Amino acid sequence: MASVLATEHPEDTAYGEVGDATVPLRFSSLAEEYRVLRDRAAVLDLGGHGLIQITGSGGVDFAQRVLARDVEYLTSDRCMMSLVLDESGQVVDQVLAFGREDGLLLESSCGAGARLLEHLLARVADDDVQITDRSGDLTVIGLEGPYAWGVVGRLIDAELASLPFESVVDTTWDDVEIVFARTGLTGEYGYQMIVPVESAAAMWRRSLEHAQAAGLEALELAMLEVRQPIPRHEVTPGASVIEIGANWLVDITKDAFVGKDAVVEAFEAGGGRRTVGFTGCPDVPALGTRVQAAGQDIGEVVYAVRSVGLDATLGLARVTGELAAAGLELSVGGLPVTTLTSPYVVPKSWSIPII
Amino acid sequence: MALRPVVVTGLGIICAAGRDPAEFWRRLTAGQGGLTPIEDEAFAVFTARYAGQVPDAWIDDRLPAEDRGVDRTARLALVAARQAVEQAGLAARGPGPGRAGGPGPGRFGIILGKCQATPDAEGRYQPMHRTADAVADRLGLRGPRILVSTACAAGGNAVGLARDKILTGEADAVLAGGVDPLLFGTYAGFAGLQALSTGPCRPYSSSDGLNLGEGAAFLLLEPLDLALARGATPLAEVAGYGLSADAYHATAPDPTGRGGASAVRRALADAGLTPADVHYVSGHGTGTPANDAMEAKVMRLVFGERAGRVPTSGIKSFVGHTLGAAGAVEAVASVLALQHGVAPPTIGFEDEPAATDLDFVPNEARPMAIDTVVSNNYAFGGNNVSLVLTRPRGPRPYDGLPRRAAVITGLGPVTGVGAGITEVAEAVAAGRQEPGRPPSLDGRTYAPRSLWRHMNHLSRMAIAASRLAWEDAGLKLPRKALDDVGLVFATAAGSAESTGGFDESIALNPNKPAVLSFSNVVLNATGGAVCQTLGLRGPTTTICNGGASASIALDCALEMIRAGKAEVVLVVAADETTAPAPPPDPPVPYGEGSAAPVPGSAAVAFVVESAEHCAGRGGRAYARVAGTAHTTGAGTEAVLREPPVAGPVELVVGAGAGGPEDGQEAAAVLDCAPGALLTASAGLTGDCQAATGAMNLVLAALALRERLAPALTGLIAPRAGTIGSYVTKPDLPAPVRRALALTAAHGSVRGAVLLEAV
Repeated sequence: MASVLATEHPEDTAYGEVGDATVPLRFSSLAEEYRVLRDRAAVLDLGGHGLIQITGSGGVDFAQRVLARDVEYLTSDRCMMSLVLDESGQVVDQVLAFGREDGLLLESSCGAGARLLEHLLARVADDDVQITDRSGDLTVIGLEGPYAWGVVGRLIDAELASLPFESVVDTTWDDVEIVFARTGLTGEYGYQMIVPVESAAAMWRRSLEHAQAAGLEALELAMLEVRQPIPRHEVTPGASVIEIGANWLVDITKDAFVGKDAVVEAFEAGGGRRTVGFTGCPDVPALGTRVQAAGQDIGEVVYAVRSVGLDATLGLARVTGELAAAGLELSVGGLPVTTLTSPYVVPKSWSIPII
Repeated sequence: MALRPVVVTGLGIICAAGRDPAEFWRRLTAGQGGLTPIEDEAFAVFTARYAGQVPDAWIDDRLPAEDRGVDRTARLALVAARQAVEQAGLAARGPGPGRAGGPGPGRFGIILGKCQATPDAEGRYQPMHRTADAVADRLGLRGPRILVSTACAAGGNAVGLARDKILTGEADAVLAGGVDPLLFGTYAGFAGLQALSTGPCRPYSSSDGLNLGEGAAFLLLEPLDLALARGATPLAEVAGYGLSADAYHATAPDPTGRGGASAVRRALADAGLTPADVHYVSGHGTGTPANDAMEAKVMRLVFGERAGRVPTSGIKSFVGHTLGAAGAVEAVASVLALQHGVAPPTIGFEDEPAATDLDFVPNEARPMAIDTVVSNNYAFGGNNVSLVLTRPRGPRPYDGLPRRAAVITGLGPVTGVGAGITEVAEAVAAGRQEPGRPPSLDGRTYAPRSLWRHMNHLSRMAIAASRLAWEDAGLKLPRKALDDVGLVFATAAGSAESTGGFDESIALNPNKPAVLSFSNVVLNATGGAVCQTLGLRGPTTTICNGGASASIALDCALEMIRAGKAEVVLVVAADETTAPAPPPDPPVPYGEGSAAPVPGSAAVAFVVESAEHCAGRGGRAYARVAGTAHTTGAGTEAVLREPPVAGPVELVVGAGAGGPEDGQEAAAVLDCAPGALLTASAGLTGDCQAATGAMNLVLAALALRERLAPALTGLIAPRAGTIGSYVTKPDLPAPVRRALALTAAHGSVRGAVLLEAV
């Protein structure tokens, strides 16, 4: 599925296939877009995120069953991130769930909309739940960066800029009804706007009057730097929620949800592997590269990139639990690395107030 | 619609910057602050030691001998109250008819804002309303009496509620204000939150923390026509006020400023004015980073491009944060600013004025034309209050407050006999009683777990009650409509759990207070938690008149509906006891042998809606609110004879709780409501203070619909009348068309609510 904004992107935009979506990876260069995101404000084409609506009298109960966090009282002015698990506790997706007057709207992770839709449809048992794919008529545009709040003020309404985290407002932009949310994926001030596809191009163009576009590569790098989970990189076959380090995206105090038993079992069992950040080796190691401590094999690399912020390799390794701690000297593919505590890069937004 | 103009004819104040309005104003305009290091050595344990203290000599020099026997909080209040009454020309030996046309005692009320519960000589907390009682008794005020406790916004809130009492015609004069002393525990709590500045506070510039203060302030409010008729001089008009709930956080203000802006906008709408009419804003200006940043947003949201041209200053830089008194202190300053045409400064202002786009009147008072002032206050619990004060204008035609029918559409009792009206009705029908048994909240959820797990038991009960009442009403309102749903919280004493936990932590180590408990010590915290959980951002307030709180809260809800400020208001009452397990002998309300009430814990909510709104959505009401009445200082008979509630009724759900006070209430009911059956809720639940009053209302509403009322099990020898006058079987002998619910704060206020079948 191509972005509805593809016609708005520069001709030399680098695209990539991510799951079911064709998404812009870079509009210019990774370094430039990264600096925009970390230093100023970046506009993000999040059209690769699927949008799935859950409605019907049983909609909220259904959502409460299929989402791993508590959404029973998710009101229409709130959103929250949650995992969606299968019965064996494996991660299906990581979604942003928006409370709506008539149910919920789920935003999938990049390229995972079709898989999420299939998963949900397979679990609808009653007529009182309707699942609707809204990806054809709605799309998502993001703003991210230490001065993204200023863009919100100029683009829509200054009153919205300082919304509390995970707040949602139904508002209008250019006489078009949109859903506006304070979100954030990179530790910087972050906002998302869910807009009708026919208005997306106009909003994209108007956003670019106040900020610069950044592609998926810059976004995912900045996410990694603050240890924001990126399912498509971090969810490996057989890995439990705990091994992935996404415990905060499940709520085992809930009475029940799909996959709960497996998660509880993993919690109770303890042990197993954990995910930890590392830096050090000059070249970006391949996925699956073995990780060793004192000559012993303790795990593998699950994701690694070149961090612009650190000017070094930055990766995630899934290793024996007791060695998933910061400040350890390990080796990756025979080269020395040091494990890190997150965030690996301190977001500039943490020291910049919204005024 | 032009409402009856309400004016201020008297001012009184005592605080660190002066012991009367003249001295206060002289120091404000001279930039002479009153923040000094605390003299009491007990405070030496804290790093931050500046506060706005009132010397004891300032208090005692100004009080007659008969006032000196009361506690310091009441003495502070009496100093300011007497000044206001005197300036208004209503002094002599208390107000009364025949003195220059002044209001009769029954038409002269007091509405007092207070944040902190006041310890007595033994260190036990007095009832919150005791200070208002002390002032009213000494000044002979027998009109409406309300203790409002919206924490740091209470003083401003009191002024607004006083205006309501004049607009409804319940009072011809109201003394409105606030009081709070400097208390060690509160100081430790703010220190624990790291909210205190180590030097004199500097609102809007350094914003490195606040200083606590103490004091009292009162404004004497009257209708313009009556004030002029008796030759009084109006000092200012209380043109309007606005309340709002942040529905955001227990202590931190909503960083968007939405809540604060909403209060200003509502106040201006109430006054029939626009932001363009405002010349000066008296800011809350505590000096904390969160508050000051939020206030700047409020200014920009409300005034837009004009924000930098509307001077706003914070006089807490002179007096510190006087908590429940602050709103009244600042209202007094605002009236003086209008009178003198001078904006008081923000002293200690450190930045160059050019460093901000807003005008904080740095360091020097500014003569300027001022016709309209907005005075803002913000509080823990997310309560916001804005007052609009204007220069007084001449007499003019006005309309009465519209009479709008209101109905009760949802009931949410959470008690030891059950949670929800279905369970409680089943218990009533089965004759089951559980006095003193705490409610169980097991079996379902009432709030997001992320909020629930941080809440104390009182808030949990109140949220459960609110959720159940809301669901019972069948209300399905969109998000935008929830922004206008009101919430009135009623409690006698707030969270015993949090208060006890906090006090215990202070006793162990004042530098390690239980800060989470501290944020829940303020009595409006539970109301704030309900707003946050249900997303209600309409007008909100908290009433603390002991067992009479619920009926007074209902009055507030009705006033919101009459004034068009809300179509739907949730009233929730909650109190808890820390008493051990209930004794084996249950209390028997109105029973001769019953020695004392059994304390209990409960939360009871009900939904009040305009009849129009209910009909418009196809809702089904339990009852129409036909009338309410409150009396002070007298027995039950006085309130039963008040015209709004007098007349034949088939059922009275009384305030009897199984103590010796029951006798006079029963006798009064038998005398004033012959033929009615009398019952009470305390046999079911125990004496749950404010929640018992609300439970009486709920049971009266239930009786109207279901012909069902709690039987007084165990009643053999009533204190008054014969057994035939009491409900002894839950199934009532005949349908009930009119039922009366009674509330009582013994020695203070009694209330009655008349409900009619719909």
